[in-house]
Amino acid sequence: MNQNRPGPLQYAVLALLAIVFLYPIWWAVSSSLKPAADIITDPLSIGALTLDNYRAMFADVPIGTGFANTALVLVVRGAMTMFFCPLAGYAFAKYDFPGKNALFGVVLLTLMLPTLVLIIPLLLEMSALGWVNTYRALILPGSIDAFSIFWMRQTIAAIPDELIDAGRVDGAGEFGIFARVVLPVIRPGLAALAVLTTMNVYNDFVWPVVAVNDTSHQTLQVVLSTLAQNITGNRIGADFATVWGELLAAGSVAMLPLLVIFVLLQRHFINGILAGSVKG
Amino acid sequence: MRSFRLSPYLFIAPFFVVFAAFGLYPLSYALQLSFMRWRGAGEAHWVGAGNYLYLLTSPDFWASLGNSAVMWLLIVPVQVVAGLGGAVLLANARLRLRALFRVAFIAPFVTPLVAMAQVWIVVFDQDHGLVNHLLGLAGLPGVEWLTSTAWAKPTLALLFLWKTTGFAIIILLAGLQAVPGGVYEAAALDGASRWRQFWSITVPLVRRSTAFLVVVQTLAVFQMFAEPFVVTEGGPYGSTTTAGLYLYKHITASDLGTGAANSFLLVLLVFGLSLVSVRLLRAKDGT
Repeated sequence: MNQNRPGPLQYAVLALLAIVFLYPIWWAVSSSLKPAADIITDPLSIGALTLDNYRAMFADVPIGTGFANTALVLVVRGAMTMFFCPLAGYAFAKYDFPGKNALFGVVLLTLMLPTLVLIIPLLLEMSALGWVNTYRALILPGSIDAFSIFWMRQTIAAIPDELIDAGRVDGAGEFGIFARVVLPVIRPGLAALAVLTTMNVYNDFVWPVVAVNDTSHQTLQVVLSTLAQNITGNRIGADFATVWGELLAAGSVAMLPLLVIFVLLQRHFINGILAGSVKG
Repeated sequence: MRSFRLSPYLFIAPFFVVFAAFGLYPLSYALQLSFMRWRGAGEAHWVGAGNYLYLLTSPDFWASLGNSAVMWLLIVPVQVVAGLGGAVLLANARLRLRALFRVAFIAPFVTPLVAMAQVWIVVFDQDHGLVNHLLGLAGLPGVEWLTSTAWAKPTLALLFLWKTTGFAIIILLAGLQAVPGGVYEAAALDGASRWRQFWSITVPLVRRSTAFLVVVQTLAVFQMFAEPFVVTEGGPYGSTTTAGLYLYKHITASDLGTGAANSFLLVLLVFGLSLVSVRLLRAKDGT
């Protein structure tokens, strides 16, 4: 781009944009710390701070269960993605075998499959298997996804063949080369994959809402949406303000983990997003 | 060296097992189901193209597509312009605090959609919400953001834009940074104005990133689900029943054959729109 020194106007516009992007997050978190009645009577004030909304929310909403379920799904699905996707990517990047192009074509085709087309038949499949309301239903579909394989193939293709041949000369087995030569080299790519997978699984909503309806298996996002429905359901209730307070407290608690990860690892987040654009 | 030939197949097998079980099988099953009348229990009846004909003559189906089309118009052009503007502002290598601005713009993308949808309910509430409060301070009347058919769609579109425009900025910024700086210097030497440089160099060179953005967001807008599901439940008067939410309603109504047919119609539409978008963006290449 053109390299003139940016003027004050450019900084002013950028700062204004940054405020627009950050204000809703700030408003939600700061309001959740106010007495519930103040959220309604004076949405701009930041006066007395209180944890009352959080206390009420933890008492009323099974948010701990939601976190535990999301964590379980995240760990198992994350482990599968982080192991199987680089492994497949390695095969597609560094081996020649009959049918390779056709098989990789299938991987690319599945990238274009909208989630929605699978929801109904997948739900029927789960009920035929007796898997509705199980962790299996939340974990297995999509656990080894085409995009991650494609991306890992691009990453691994950049490794020089000599490095892999050297591993072979040292007598390592095919899997040994993957584990001891390939994986360590692609560590930055793996970090970005981990971050992106975390974001996707953590925020996943459509499938968990369909596949699970008992409270004990609901993921965090489903727990949150149930709370929202309770609110729109009794808008005229006497404790209107209290419900809003709980809602904002629950939202803030749900936002926190990813925002912290994001601030710490923002470089990997952005790399993940950019890798996503490569497929275009 | 027997293991040498087998290894790559073993390495890619897990994906194909998972895809066959949870992709290919449900897909072929959905195709059959789309030609049947089945309410989730009891006998299934073969109805041929019946479900498709029903949908294609149903006002609700067309209304859901219309709602999504309006959402698309409210979101995608705005996002391309805002994304490009943000990317141009950030692209200057001499910009200070660049990393900080990038983090600020991407932060909404990282927040859970359901949590922010709840914040939207509170912020845009017509009686006690922040936005109407601010309008009141400015002496303006409040707006029925989520309860009027005129405003519900723009209010949801705003949520979508707020959440994903940072993503657009980063994608377009990557496209911009692939432009070698020397190109601009040469153009400036030839006497091209800043505006001319923007239209003749920047815009053509980010066309690929723009095409990617348009396709990805077209897919996302027509599958939009959580926003109307959480914030408006498809109302008021069905005005925010997007294509994605309408599809979901077949599940709650146990009308699974129609739902399957609906999802295939939606896929065809989304593919068609993506192809058209790519074509349109390519066609301009000649300029």
